[in-house]
Amino acid sequence: MPGMKLGTRLTSRRKDWLAGFLRLALGTAFVYAGIWKHFYPYQFTETVMAYQLLPQPLVGLTVAIVPWLEMVSGALLILGVKPRSCLLLIQAVLVVFLVILAITMLRGLNIDCGCGLFSERQVGFLAILEDMLLLALAAWLYWLEVQRLLPAR
Amino acid sequence: MTLLRRLLAQDLAWGIFILALALGLGLQSHWALVRSGFKGELASRLDEWREQYRQAEFGEIKTVNLEQAYALHRQGQALFIDARPRSEFQELHIAGAINLTTEALQGYGVQHLSGMDRQRQIVVYCGQQNCDASLEVAELLQAQGFSQVMAFTGGFRAWDEAGYPVDIAP
Repeated sequence: MPGMKLGTRLTSRRKDWLAGFLRLALGTAFVYAGIWKHFYPYQFTETVMAYQLLPQPLVGLTVAIVPWLEMVSGALLILGVKPRSCLLLIQAVLVVFLVILAITMLRGLNIDCGCGLFSERQVGFLAILEDMLLLALAAWLYWLEVQRLLPAR
Repeated sequence: MTLLRRLLAQDLAWGIFILALALGLGLQSHWALVRSGFKGELASRLDEWREQYRQAEFGEIKTVNLEQAYALHRQGQALFIDARPRSEFQELHIAGAINLTTEALQGYGVQHLSGMDRQRQIVVYCGQQNCDASLEVAELLQAQGFSQVMAFTGGFRAWDEAGYPVDIAP
């Protein structure tokens, strides 16, 4: 930008690169998580049922919709198609999951969270921390996208 | 502020569209599962599927039920291996059992077992009916030359509910 100092311009460019990289990483993580759930629907059904929160009709719907929601929003985020809407959806998924994790911890259920990308992980503080970090990342990326469209002060 | 509100409304509208797309794709690809859920048949479908999966993946592993496992425990000859995570083992486990998870066995566990009699009867168990850790550990042990390995698929829950002997931390 013409009026910007060189230092600020470099920092801003670095921030854009970082945001771009993190957007790709978040999108990839969601696509990967969705693909796994889509191709292993019975394992995912067992994971959802272990939470003992939903009646069977809703378990079936969750198992059908969540993998596609993760795959579609992750893929569109990677491609840069409607990124703000994808980031909103990702935040919604993460908030719902955070509530479920908290309820499960309060109930004292010792179950696999179904959220470990590369290894199995129990419901616990680590899973909650991971969810909160992802939520903060998605919120930050959303805010950056919005800021770009707001008129400069 | 008005611009922000307009942006948010636009983002939400597209978000709902993407959600509807996911709903359509999900219903189309997993309709059988969704229907089972509405009929209340998911649990039995899962049992069938688990049986098929285990047959395909662990068909070679001998399994024992609760009574057979208890009989082996009473005879006192068999080694009981708890394949659950260490924290769960420490909380409560079958009396006399040792803790050996899949991860541990893939790491240092093999050396740990090097002096052990390969003909000894071994019963492996995990948490409950739907966990596969017992079968995975049994398979790894069998690959290490242990010939009398069995998986107790009812798991610790069935044992505990039956009121059979348990221990706290070793």
